[in-house]
Amino acid sequence: MPPPLPSRRTVLGGLGTLAVAGSFGLAAANRSASAIASDADVRVRYWNLFSGGDGVNMIAMLNAFRRADPRVDVKDSTLQWGNPYYTKLAMAASGNRAPDLAVMHLGRIPGFAPGRLLDPWDVGLLGKCGVREADFNPVLWKRAVVDGKLYGLPLDIHAQLCFYRRDVCGKAGLLGDGGNLAAVSSPEEWFKALKTAKKAVKGNLQVLGMKASEPNFSWWFFLSFYTQLGGTCLSADGQDVTFDTDKATRVLEFLRQHVTDGYTAPVGIADGEMFLNGSAFTWEGNWSVPVFNDAKLDYGATELPPVFGRPATHAESHCFVLPHQAARGGAANEGAHRLAAYIVRNALAWSQGGHIPAYAPTLEDKDYLALKPQAEYVSAMDHMAVEPSAWFAGSTGLLAQRIGPAVASSNVGSARPDATARRMKDVLEKLLTMKNPMAGEAIVEEGAAT
Amino acid sequence: MSAVDTTLTPAVVRPVPAVYADSARVRLARGFQHGGWFVAPFLALFALFVLLPIGRGLWLSFTDANISGVGERFVGLDNYREALDDPLMWDSLGHSAYFTFLVVPCIVLLAFVLAVLAHHIERAKWLWRLCFFAPFLLPSTVAANLWQWLFNPGTGMINHVFGLETPWLTQKSTAMIAIVITTLWWTVGFSFLLFLAALQNIPRHLYEAAALDGANAWHRMVHITLPMLRNITGLVVTLQILASLQVFDQAVVMQDFGPGPEESTRTFVQFTLEEGFTAYRVGYASAISIIFFLIIAVVALGRMWLLRKREEGAR
Repeated sequence: MPPPLPSRRTVLGGLGTLAVAGSFGLAAANRSASAIASDADVRVRYWNLFSGGDGVNMIAMLNAFRRADPRVDVKDSTLQWGNPYYTKLAMAASGNRAPDLAVMHLGRIPGFAPGRLLDPWDVGLLGKCGVREADFNPVLWKRAVVDGKLYGLPLDIHAQLCFYRRDVCGKAGLLGDGGNLAAVSSPEEWFKALKTAKKAVKGNLQVLGMKASEPNFSWWFFLSFYTQLGGTCLSADGQDVTFDTDKATRVLEFLRQHVTDGYTAPVGIADGEMFLNGSAFTWEGNWSVPVFNDAKLDYGATELPPVFGRPATHAESHCFVLPHQAARGGAANEGAHRLAAYIVRNALAWSQGGHIPAYAPTLEDKDYLALKPQAEYVSAMDHMAVEPSAWFAGSTGLLAQRIGPAVASSNVGSARPDATARRMKDVLEKLLTMKNPMAGEAIVEEGAAT
Repeated sequence: MSAVDTTLTPAVVRPVPAVYADSARVRLARGFQHGGWFVAPFLALFALFVLLPIGRGLWLSFTDANISGVGERFVGLDNYREALDDPLMWDSLGHSAYFTFLVVPCIVLLAFVLAVLAHHIERAKWLWRLCFFAPFLLPSTVAANLWQWLFNPGTGMINHVFGLETPWLTQKSTAMIAIVITTLWWTVGFSFLLFLAALQNIPRHLYEAAALDGANAWHRMVHITLPMLRNITGLVVTLQILASLQVFDQAVVMQDFGPGPEESTRTFVQFTLEEGFTAYRVGYASAISIIFFLIIAVVALGRMWLLRKREEGAR
């Protein structure tokens, strides 16, 4: 007779014991995390969306703040990046359950009902904490101001970059003086460089990673080159669509050519890993710097190549915001100001994550200037290609959600560039006819006037 | 079912004394005296968490409400007009329908085959049942994450085993199919259980009699098992259609909350969620969920109507 199989009870019992043991382990881990800083005067609840290397850096900065200012007990929560985060933040603010401090993308402020879901910063109080307007890139500061009030305190600028491997590009003779990538100034020169690089790339690795089928990245790369051509999405007053389909078609054809000429795979390739394995280039956000640094890669990073003349590369900013609280003020509010000001001023740790600090004095810090490759692309902050200022714009906002897939379909060849350009214009026109759901009373007044 | 109804009817409807016939209050009190108080706790919760939200949703669908709940205005049928004119809504409806079209036949067939297998295997019966049913007990997020790994083009087991390089989740032609396969693995256990219970309810003597008459296994399957499973198959198909039209969690998790390659896996529920909670247009989202509710109601009623017609035809 064969040996008896384990009975159902034995198996289920064993599984149950494991599950219970596991949950005790988790509970123990949680307890130790929240036991820090218990004899503080005030608790500041702080929400952020940083995971991975950014998350580690943010926690290090928070711990530094806890040591520097022990009277403030920071209760930080890290939530899932992207739309789920914004949904939670909006609902918390509208339900009067908002944290004292939160992080947000600067481009999302116009759609986040400044005044209703967000409370303005007390600039005087910030000044007392050592943070003044003069210390910031004026473009950033201006983007954070709505109706004369400051709603976002900029923390950084994060840009799309062209990462290149010095070993591969050096072999192909593409490096100029000082071992940095030689400049290109036209699509022809860029494709010539790719052609040369291809010979130096081993095996069947792709030459360039450009996330051709990923909607968000596709849109960001499109916006970079479209801005290089001088293209705009909306008029300055935000009332009219100024999208130029001819320029857009040129950009889409340029992006598509990377696929048709075989420099990049249309779908399904892990671009970052390919780059680690030996691709010559990869286009990525600057947040990949720690990944490539950890791999001890010999690489550099510049802005996206200025193939259409004027340099421009897509950039967004993280900023601190004060989610709306009916009873904002008092010690928790002051604690939030102190915390945000401290982190903005001590952002050197943050720039190790690849971000360009928004607080200008940090940029002159010799420790910052020694960071590689950060110092190489710091000029990206002067060439920011940003989404239009509109309620539907901003990182992973409605505009990106609607327009990104169109760019991706053109990249992978499912739609023609000229048809895609028209579709993108349609998306913008449709979004402009939709009224801002958060406009509330303002819309009623407009409706009465027309 | 209808046969049962006719036998019960005379017992339930007692003749009502003429004095009470018109008084609704008395009739209500009479109906309430026994069962009423027992179901009252349920009714209260049902009203609070189902009826009230449905009513509120219906009202919101006629307004331009946003997520902050301020500045809500009545806009009549504007939301419905916009929805019927919105290509994104029709696209997402198409994706949900396509998913249903792929998944329902597969689930019904596979659940049936597995049930027959588990019914006939003699050794370690509980193990088979557990294996087929266990995935159903997983939360959708776990199942979806698991299969996201299995479908990973570089390191996933599926490409490894079959020697493929298919980017399952990032190309349009396979994205939905990958979600269908996941759903199949994850939910087939439920239908499997229904079939298994029905199989166990078929009286053994039917098979014995058929065997005595010389019917082989195939004949017994076609002439006894299949006809005896007709009702349960109808139920499984209906439940699966309704569940599949509402596909959401596994699709959204497997595509990292995005609309999938070239927006090919954005389902109707996901579209509603996006409009309501990422575009903050609660009024519009309410209108499209009412439209979706009507579509599902039509499908469910249509299926019931077809079933009844067939039963009448069979009689």
